[in-house]
Amino acid sequence: MKLLLALLLSLPAFSAMYSPPLLAHGERAQMPQLRMRTVHWIDVQASTSKMAVNDVVKISGKFMPSKYWPHHVDSIEETAFLNIGVPGPSFVRLDSRVNGVPMIRSTSFRKGEVYDFEITLKARKVGRYHVHTVINVEGAGPMIGPGMWVEVTGDEAAFQNTATTLLGETIDLETYGFGNVMFWSALWFSVGLAWFVYWLTKCPIVVPRFKRTVELGVEADQMITPMDRRIGVIFLGLTLTLIVGGYVYAQEKWPITTPLQTGKIDIPPLEQEPNPISIKLIEARYRIPGRSFRMEFDVINNSDRPVTIGEFAAGNLRFINAKVLDVKPKDEHDLVASDALRVEGAPVAAGATQRVVIYADDAMWETERMTTMISSPDAVVAGMLSFFEDGGKRHLVEFGGPMIPDFGMGKS
Amino acid sequence: MKAIDVVVSSATQAFGLSSTKEQHKAYVQADLLIIPLIVLLFMGIFSFHFALLVGDWDYWVDWRDRRWWPLVTPLALSVLPGVFGFLLWDKLRLPLGGTLTILCLTLAAWISRYLNFHLFADFPMNFVWPSTYIALGLILDCMLLLTRSFFWTGLFGGFAFGLLIYPLNWSMLAPFQVPLELNGTMLTVADLMGYEYIRTAIPEYVRIIEESTLRTFGSAVTPLTAVFAGFLTIMNYWFWLWIGYLGAKAIWLRKIV
Repeated sequence: MKLLLALLLSLPAFSAMYSPPLLAHGERAQMPQLRMRTVHWIDVQASTSKMAVNDVVKISGKFMPSKYWPHHVDSIEETAFLNIGVPGPSFVRLDSRVNGVPMIRSTSFRKGEVYDFEITLKARKVGRYHVHTVINVEGAGPMIGPGMWVEVTGDEAAFQNTATTLLGETIDLETYGFGNVMFWSALWFSVGLAWFVYWLTKCPIVVPRFKRTVELGVEADQMITPMDRRIGVIFLGLTLTLIVGGYVYAQEKWPITTPLQTGKIDIPPLEQEPNPISIKLIEARYRIPGRSFRMEFDVINNSDRPVTIGEFAAGNLRFINAKVLDVKPKDEHDLVASDALRVEGAPVAAGATQRVVIYADDAMWETERMTTMISSPDAVVAGMLSFFEDGGKRHLVEFGGPMIPDFGMGKS
Repeated sequence: MKAIDVVVSSATQAFGLSSTKEQHKAYVQADLLIIPLIVLLFMGIFSFHFALLVGDWDYWVDWRDRRWWPLVTPLALSVLPGVFGFLLWDKLRLPLGGTLTILCLTLAAWISRYLNFHLFADFPMNFVWPSTYIALGLILDCMLLLTRSFFWTGLFGGFAFGLLIYPLNWSMLAPFQVPLELNGTMLTVADLMGYEYIRTAIPEYVRIIEESTLRTFGSAVTPLTAVFAGFLTIMNYWFWLWIGYLGAKAIWLRKIV
């Protein structure tokens, strides 16, 4: 009994101390084929992981819309917007660019094209935030990129965010215009309340007026007194006068305004060298009991150096070939398996065409809920392979094709 | 003796109200119970109704464009003033349906913006302030009081309801439509706030800003929208008055009982 009591008492204390990190951007909830076949994020990094209020962090990297974008999902080639996934405005976005073009408005991205991006954020609220890159696609929703923990310390009250209008006025965006809003809101609320209170002065109103209305029937308008009508004229006049007065006041005080701005902008593609590596997916099998993805390719190496595979990335999961690369997770939620990629049949000699088999084995397939790819309506997967020359030069190649699940029941 | 007299007489006897003073006290107590409940009811249902039909147009200052916001808002806003305006006038001869419902909506909106949008979600209040519509309710109620006619109230009041929504709010909205420049792009202050104060689930393209064209009307977007909104609101207000009339007949209630 005492033990039970102690356990019960310790439960609140334990729950108070134990606060698991909240990954609330839905990264695991998205369907695996959506994660694998929409946007590949490459080399995404934050310029700092610790900062104070008013400090700036830059999130940068590359992304490539997949050539294997699902047909049943609205395309990124129509309307999209580069965004950031944070809990509310814990940061303000000072700038965001794709291939150097400001991303204030919406745009569209071409499948198979690699884009550079950089987002500049200024810390506003104290806390520890899992910052995700996001591309919102009209009709398809957010395509979430990798997350990075950023810790913000300091004094929130000292946060500053100013802008200068084209009329030369410097304004504080945290408070601008709110005094004026409060004044007019309070004024209208007072007038409305006064009207309500006038009718409340006739209390009791509910039962007596109901009775009287029924008694008078079609003559119930007799309940309206001359005083009521005078009050009605006064309030109507006051209301119309205040509307016109407020409009004239605003026109006088802010004579130069423009309508809200919107529109789409175009992004010129980056100049890129032709890719000397091409691959053909022969077979992709996912073995469920072993959480193991086996893929077989024909690799054509048209470069003048031998190449091998250093990384396989799919759905923000990165499987590293430790014999080629030394990549460690940046934090506890960086989805990097440092030694989870086994490569057979590499390196591929210069000018050769060679069969290569890779195995991506890690529990991340399970923990990141990627195993539900076997429930996909078209059972197609896609991913990104990083080929490295012996000098370290990297070539990125996307692949995609049908996937066959292996249930470990004999035939596979 | 009419049915209502029978009911009131029975209630008076049942509660042992023997004097006029006691009866008056009971009526006051009924008011003290019913009026706060009605206020709470209007706050709840109007907030829900408005969130569903207007939502982001009223949540964010960078959504209030010249074409869609002043058109969508009066159509959604005149529903409850129509229904409850009929009930309050027909049953109590109180011209309160417009003002009281919108007053309750305004109160609920300010509470929600401050607690949910500002304190909980950290948006600055100058980005999420609710628009004001109380004047529109006052116009409807004053018209009803002065004309004592739903027809004329709908015709003049309903038209003014749609027509005046933009000029009514312009005193608060104008400073947020002052232009500025960001990285070679002209924006309004409201656009800049929408860009800087991050909304992960509300990308730029979700806003419906002046979609479609009014090419034969030059740049007179706002007046044209206002007049069109006025005409639509006349019909809309009459329609919801009729719904209020159907509700007041309470046939559905008699069928249940």
